Amino acid sequence: MPKQRIPLVDTDIHERVQYEELLQYLDEPFKHYITNCHWIQEKHMPYTQPSVAGVDRADAVVPDGRPAGSDLAFMQEQLLDDIGHEFGILTGALDPSPSSMHGWYEMAAALASAYNDWQIDKWLDQDERLYGSVHVAAQDRDEAVKEIERVGDHPKMVQVLLPIDDIMWGDPYYHPIFEAAEKHDLMIGMHHNEPPVYYGKWPRYFIEWHTLIPTAHMKQVTNMIFNGVFDKFPNLGLMMIEGGFTFIPHLMWKMDQQFRDLRHEVPWLKRKPSDIMKDQVRFCTQPSEELNKKDFMSLIDQMGTDEMICFATDYPHWDYDSPHRALPNLDPELKQKIYSENARNFYPKIPKSGGEIT
Amino acid sequence: MREQVVCKTTDIQPGQMMESVFGKQDVLVCRTPDGDFYAFRNQCTHQGAPLHKGMMCGATTEQSEPGEYQYCHRGEIIRCPWHGREFDIKNDGRMLANPDKKLPSFKVRVENENVIVYK
Ligand code: FES
Repeated sequence: MPKQRIPLVDTDIHERVQYEELLQYLDEPFKHYITNCHWIQEKHMPYTQPSVAGVDRADAVVPDGRPAGSDLAFMQEQLLDDIGHEFGILTGALDPSPSSMHGWYEMAAALASAYNDWQIDKWLDQDERLYGSVHVAAQDRDEAVKEIERVGDHPKMVQVLLPIDDIMWGDPYYHPIFEAAEKHDLMIGMHHNEPPVYYGKWPRYFIEWHTLIPTAHMKQVTNMIFNGVFDKFPNLGLMMIEGGFTFIPHLMWKMDQQFRDLRHEVPWLKRKPSDIMKDQVRFCTQPSEELNKKDFMSLIDQMGTDEMICFATDYPHWDYDSPHRALPNLDPELKQKIYSENARNFYPKIPKSGGEIT
Repeated sequence: MREQVVCKTTDIQPGQMMESVFGKQDVLVCRTPDGDFYAFRNQCTHQGAPLHKGMMCGATTEQSEPGEYQYCHRGEIIRCPWHGREFDIKNDGRMLANPDKKLPSFKVRVENENVIVYK
């Protein structure tokens, strides 16, 4: 059945590296730690995604058997060409996730640099639709700033990626990262990794953890706003990736109400929190929650703007959102905004003019 | 189209499934472990994933008490390759989590070596 093509700006696509591919971009001794000492990144999650093929769509395995997301040609065929993507933003597979390493920051920083070089070489330079995220080892703030200075000017690097894990990034200690990002027209993209959303531990079941991911996103947005990041860096934006969007009205109302009562503690806030969100924070739609049109429109109404959410597929992961089916059938103008314009307006390096969605 | 041969009985082993077509429609032909054939529309009712890329398996059942797993219906459940929704082949393709929803199905009969889908 021929499908209608959607000129999409997809705000979350996971390309995947295999450790051996990083070796050519790594110096010694870090190469040695991988090849001879068999280093892989620490893992914590006690469960698997109890779906057909773990974290991936079962049909996204590369035909030669390599893991989903590891081959550009297959991604082009299955996703970019099939849907009709105008642009897609790569967000990594979070393995390695340098900012999530709980020790050995030298290795984390080396991996981040190698990853960025691999990403530019093998993806951004190979397909004009693909844009990228700067990986850093943000726990070592000064190394992170150096890496942003090193690759941040690349015309297709659109954001600095920070994990939602166990660090609240709004802390003034990390502000030099935001300063460097702003200087290079980079936004901040935050994606959860293995967040301890459950009182610092794991809930008993994956379904609990996955249900509560938005709470970890809410914590980071609240933290970034009340720590004054957005007034201090007025050209900085924050994209919250893969936490969904149905919690947005609650968070706006709650923060505004708190601000009216408790502003005294955070005098550096020049605008009310919901206005800061409207101006500088964006949310990927995925994973969407099967709203009907009426409920969807009522949510947009409660947000007070239709410019805060951006469509994302999360390809090739198991909870992929199909651009054809994930959202209700929206009016063309709104569709254009959510599928394309909102992301274009958010990322300064993505070309502005767009195609029509009919 | 009233009826059509969608495959040979030897094309599918018990416990396996394959994609085929019936007229212009994509069809999923399943063979349960007892050897019976079933046919459904090869498109998940959720977001449209191609079901033949998923798997035929069993399911944990609602008879399970908290903290224990009872597993049955081996080979009688289609699991979607994307979000993993489960459809019970022998119960008219009904979704386990919401039996009000089911996969559109086709009638099937076997004649000689031919698996025939018909309306
Ligand atoms: S498309 Fe099948 S479960 Fe979502």
